This record gives sequence, structure tokens and C-alpha cells, in this order.
Amino acid sequence: MSIENFLDNSRSSWMEGEGEHSDIVMSTRIRLARNLNGFRFPLAFTEDEAHKIDQSVSSTLLDADEELQKNFTSVHIKDVSELGRQVLVEKHLISPKLANSPNTGSVLLSEDESVSVMVNEEDHIRIQCLFPGLQIQQAYERADTIDRLLEKELPYAFDEQFGYLTSCPTNTGTGLRASVMMHLPALTKTKQMNRIVTIISRLGMVVRGIYGEGSEALGNVYQVSNQTTLGKTEEDILADLQSIAEQIIQKEREARDALLQHSPNTLEDRLYRSLGTLSYARLMTTEEAARCLSDVRLGIDIGLIKDIDMSILNECMIFMQPGFLQKYAGTTLNATERDMFRAKLLRERLQKGEKDNTKGEEPA
Amino acid sequence: MICENCKQRPAKVTVTQVHNGEHFERHYCEVCANSLHPFYVEYKQDPLSLHQLLSNWFNQADQIVQQKQQKTLECDECGWSIERFLEEGKFGCASCYESFRPHLPQALKRLHNGNTTHIGKAPGRLGEKIALKKRIEAIRAQMKQAVEQEQFEDAAKLRDEVKDLEKQLAGGGDDSHVD
Repeated sequence: MSIENFLDNSRSSWMEGEGEHSDIVMSTRIRLARNLNGFRFPLAFTEDEAHKIDQSVSSTLLDADEELQKNFTSVHIKDVSELGRQVLVEKHLISPKLANSPNTGSVLLSEDESVSVMVNEEDHIRIQCLFPGLQIQQAYERADTIDRLLEKELPYAFDEQFGYLTSCPTNTGTGLRASVMMHLPALTKTKQMNRIVTIISRLGMVVRGIYGEGSEALGNVYQVSNQTTLGKTEEDILADLQSIAEQIIQKEREARDALLQHSPNTLEDRLYRSLGTLSYARLMTTEEAARCLSDVRLGIDIGLIKDIDMSILNECMIFMQPGFLQKYAGTTLNATERDMFRAKLLRERLQKGEKDNTKGEEPA
Repeated sequence: MICENCKQRPAKVTVTQVHNGEHFERHYCEVCANSLHPFYVEYKQDPLSLHQLLSNWFNQADQIVQQKQQKTLECDECGWSIERFLEEGKFGCASCYESFRPHLPQALKRLHNGNTTHIGKAPGRLGEKIALKKRIEAIRAQMKQAVEQEQFEDAAKLRDEVKDLEKQLAGGGDDSHVD
């Protein structure tokens, strides 16, 4: 499969709206950080070392068995255009850091885009698994399989006391970062997020708004992940995240019920206004699009908005980002042009979505 | 003295300016000083960064400072000094962990909720070896208990078990690629 397939498709398997609690948890991500013995970390290594690392990781993964060989595509960052890199970042297939390592970085992508093995990011190897909905265990098992496959052939940097040795001391130990991306509009609207963020941070977890800088989470989407990687087993880290995620889901459901009970008309009005904006606006900034999509998503989740498919919304979240937009347009766009094009795409997509859904067709 | 600018309020602030190598002293009141020479604090991009935290934690123990006076602690493999590690907030290579080992627990403790030792997964054969070691330790503890309770027969059995396991550990064979 060529890199173009990954760039052209605004859908990834993690956006399919499947998995447990997919009305609240958009996706689950597992990341394992690993390094090879005998090479300096990417911060200090030479391009020659980078090349050798890249070779041995790629060949280990691709030669492992035919199944994987068919499944994985190796992509060198230097072979991808700047816009292409931005698109890969926006799809969460690579990190911004890897996108900025054009000389040394590469990534092995699985066909369904659920697995990406980044080579020479901050660490030599970063195995990432991205699953739809709340699937912490499943995503970890997939990452673990890849990890075991690599460790059979490659000498990992490991220490009995400190565990897996990573470039940053915040990853030392298990090298495991498990995170869930959650859509929490009701907790945000009812101003409970600050309190929740404080409590969670005391439990060794971190909450961050994604798609946005600063305190306000763009589109009410938050990422909850473990902070501690040392002194806890993988199982404990995953179980803790699972339990915290379930509690937040519970709170979000309660807040949604409360909103519906106390002000059903105001809520319905607000959500439909957002759908109206998305369906008819001619200029749409990223912020406004994120806010409106969040409202429509909530409307679908609580059954107020019925004729739009959730996977279309997930797709909209992706392609409304600047890189994707320009990829779609096939040319670079200035900010105003982007807002115009974004509005146009959202309009078309949502109207198409309504039609498609009734026929149950696959969108083109 | 009266403020040079407003000529009303008493001058409380002295501003020294250097212009073409010459020093000028100006005397202003607080109000004028503030408006004419706002106090600039230059923040770095990232006001609370990992490396700053790390440096602070290290310096608390003062060990590094002493070390500095004798000889800079350096990693044999990549040549990074401990100062460089503190500056970047990152290690240069896996051997840095070995080179800076005595100083690491105090920093790791703060990053990881008080923990300093990995208890999770370990790669392949090394993982098996570690599991074996842990089992031996557990059986030794049981053995000690048995001796204390004068259950010598049990203790003897446990001792044999330990011996077997130790043999396995030593003869674990080819673990060259994991060490």
C-alpha cells in the first residue's frame, strides 16, 4: 500500500464509532516506548545510527511473517510532503515530533491504521495502537504482540531496576502510556471539568484537552492518560485507567441526564442550531466547527438528532483540520479560504451523510 | 529629591542607564518609574519545564554540586555529562542510566509517585530470569520461616528447590543478547 492511501482517506479504523461506550469514548490509544542497546537515543545519535536502527526495526517487522508483511507499509518521513506530514499528524498516525524529524524518522503503518510503529521519534521505537471506543485491554494486547515480536529479534535497552530505558525519565519503567479520548460536553457545560481534572491528577493520571492549546478543550474532547510508568505493572496501569474512564463516563451520563431533564427545550434548540450552522454556514473556523460538531455529536448520542451517522461526525473532526483541508483542496489555502472550504465540506458531508444513512451506503 | 519626570512626587527609584559606555543615573518616583521603565521579567518559553524540575530536585541533595567540584560525572558511552542530562531533561543513551545510577532514584521518585523500581514486564529471557530470581527470593523467605518454626524437613525440601532453581538460573544458557 502506498502512502497516498493513508493520506487520501480521511477515515481510520478508530473512527468507526465502535467499541464500548463509543458515545463518550472516541478512541483508546496505547503507546510503548522502546530503545535498542548499542545506539544512542535520537537526541544524541548520528544519522548513520538512525539508519541502522531504521533498517533493523523495519526488517524485523516486515520479515516476521507474511501476514504482517502484507499488513505494514514502511514510510520515511523525508519521502512525505510537508502537507502530507501534517495530515498524518492530524489523523494521529504519527506525532508532531516525528513529523519534524525528516532526516531520521520513519513509520510503519498497518493497513487499517490501527497500529503505527514510529522509528526514531524521541525513542528508537514507539509502538502505537489506536482503537475506537473504550478498548484499553484490546489495544494493549495488540501493542504487546508487536512488542514481543520485536524483542525476540532486537536487543532492547532494559535494566533490572529501572525497566525499559527511555530517552525521557517520565517514560522509564514500562514505557507505557495508555490514554482514552473522551467527548465530555455535559460535564463541560455543567462546569464540572475543573474539579474532575484536579481529582484525577491526584490519582497519577493526566487530563488534557486535545485539538486545542490552553485550558479550553476544543470540541469538548479530553484525553485522560497515566502519568506514572515506573513501579506499577502494565496490568495495574491499564486497570487504573479503565476504572477512572468508567467513572468519568458515569459522571458524563449523569450530567447528560440532568441537562435533558432540566432544560430539554433549551438543549434541543442549542444542538439543532449547531446542526443548522454546520449545514448552512459559509465561513467556519476550526473552533466554531469543533463546537458545533460537539453539539451535534451530543444530539446524536442522546437521541435528539437521529438521521446522521456517527462515523461521519468523526470524519468531520478530522478533515476540518488545516492540513486535511488543504490536502482535499489540492492546494494551499490562506485562513479565510480555509474557513470557506471548511464550511463547504461540512455542508456537503452532512447533507450527504443524512442521505447516505437512510440508504445505508458507504460514503465515497 | 523630587522626581525628574513629574517634578511633583518624591524620587524613590534610581534607574541606571548605560549609553555609549557612559552611565547615567535617573531619579524617578514610583509612578513615573513604572511607566517609563516597566520592570521586564523575561520568561522562558516553558516556565515550568521538566529539566528545571529535575535540576531543582538534584540540587536539593547537593551531591551533584560536590561531584562537580571533584570531576564532572559523564556517561562513558555518549559523553553526556549529568549537567547536560539536567539541561535537556532527557538521557543521551541507555548507558546514561548506568553512569548516573546513584543519582537517579531521587529524581525518578518524584516523577513516578514515589516509585524507583520497575515491576512490570521484562523482555523475553531476561523476563524469565527476573521471575526466577523473584521466586527464589520468595522460597528463601519461606525456608527461613520454616527454620524458625523448627520444621526442618520442610526447610530441607525448600533448600533443594532453591538449589534447583539456582541451577536453572545459572544454566539459563544463552542470554547473551539480552544483557
